[in-house]
Amino acid sequence: MPVRTIDVRERVMARNDEIAARVRARLLAAGVPAFNLVSSPGAGKTLLLERTLAALGSELRIAVVTGDVQTQNDADRLARHTDRLVQAVVTHGACHLDARQVDTALEAIDLAATDLLFIENVGNLVCPAGWDLGEHAKIVLFSVTEGEDKPSKYPNMFRAARWAVFTKMDLLPHVPFSVERAAALAREVNPALEFLTTSAMRDEGLEDWFGFLRVQTRQRWFAA
Amino acid sequence: MHEMSIALEVCRMAEERLGTAGACGLVAVGVEVGTDAGVEPGSLAFCLEALLAEPPFAGAKPCIVRHPGDVLRLSYLEVADAGPDD
Repeated sequence: MPVRTIDVRERVMARNDEIAARVRARLLAAGVPAFNLVSSPGAGKTLLLERTLAALGSELRIAVVTGDVQTQNDADRLARHTDRLVQAVVTHGACHLDARQVDTALEAIDLAATDLLFIENVGNLVCPAGWDLGEHAKIVLFSVTEGEDKPSKYPNMFRAARWAVFTKMDLLPHVPFSVERAAALAREVNPALEFLTTSAMRDEGLEDWFGFLRVQTRQRWFAA
Repeated sequence: MHEMSIALEVCRMAEERLGTAGACGLVAVGVEVGTDAGVEPGSLAFCLEALLAEPPFAGAKPCIVRHPGDVLRLSYLEVADAGPDD
C-alpha cells in the first residue's frame, strides 16, 4: 500500500486561538474587561470572587464563568452573592478551560449589560497557562500557604499572568513564607508582573483589589 | 490532563485532514514539541498512542520531534493510499 506524507505544519492551538480571538473581539466590542483567574487548587479564587461580588455587585455589573473538573459548587457559592447568572462549566476531567467553553458560556451572558467579566479557571498552575480564553489578562492568585518558589516551579503561568494577587495574608504569621522573596522569584520569570496582597477572610487588602477593578473597568478595554 | 487535551486536538486535526486527503488510512502523526511548550513529550506520545490505537486511526504511530522554543504543532501526517488492486 503506497504511503505518502502530507505536510501540515499547523499549530495545535490554532483552533482554540481562533475562537479565543473571536471571544476577545466580542468583549472588546462590548467594552467588557475580562480577567482569567488562575491558581493552584485552594488558593482562594472563589472566596475572593465572593467578596468581590458582595462588595461591588451593586456598583458594577459583574458576570462570572466558573470552571471546575467536577461539581458546580463554586458557581453555587458565587450565585449567593449576585442576582446574575453564574455560568458553570464542568470540564469532566479536563484540567483547564478552553476558548470554546468560554465562547459557549458567553451566549447566556448579556454583555451589553455587563461591566466586568471574571473567568474562574480550574485550579491548576500548569495547563491553564497555555490556553488563551479570549481574556484581556490572566491574574494569578498565589496563597502564602504555598511554597515561595511556585514561580520558579511553574514559570509559564507566572509568565502568562499580568497581575499576581497574594492571598490568605492573614496566615502569614503562621507560615514560613516571605512575600518579598516570592515576588522576587515571580519577577525573575516576569519582570512586568504587578502585585496585590489580600486576605479575603479578614477583609485585608480588598479595598486595593476593588480599586484595581474599578480602574480596570473604567478603562473599558475599548477596541483601538 | 493537559497532554490528553492536546492529543485529542491533534487527533481531531488529523481526522479532519484524512477526510480531505482521500487516503484510506493513517500511518504516522508527526508532532513538533518545543522545549518551552509546557508539554511533556513522553506523556503526549503515550496519550497519542492510546488514541491512535482506536478507530478511525487503526494503529497509527506518533512521532514526537523536539525543538527549541515554544512551538507545538502538527507537523505532518503519513497516510496510506489504496493500491491499484485494492
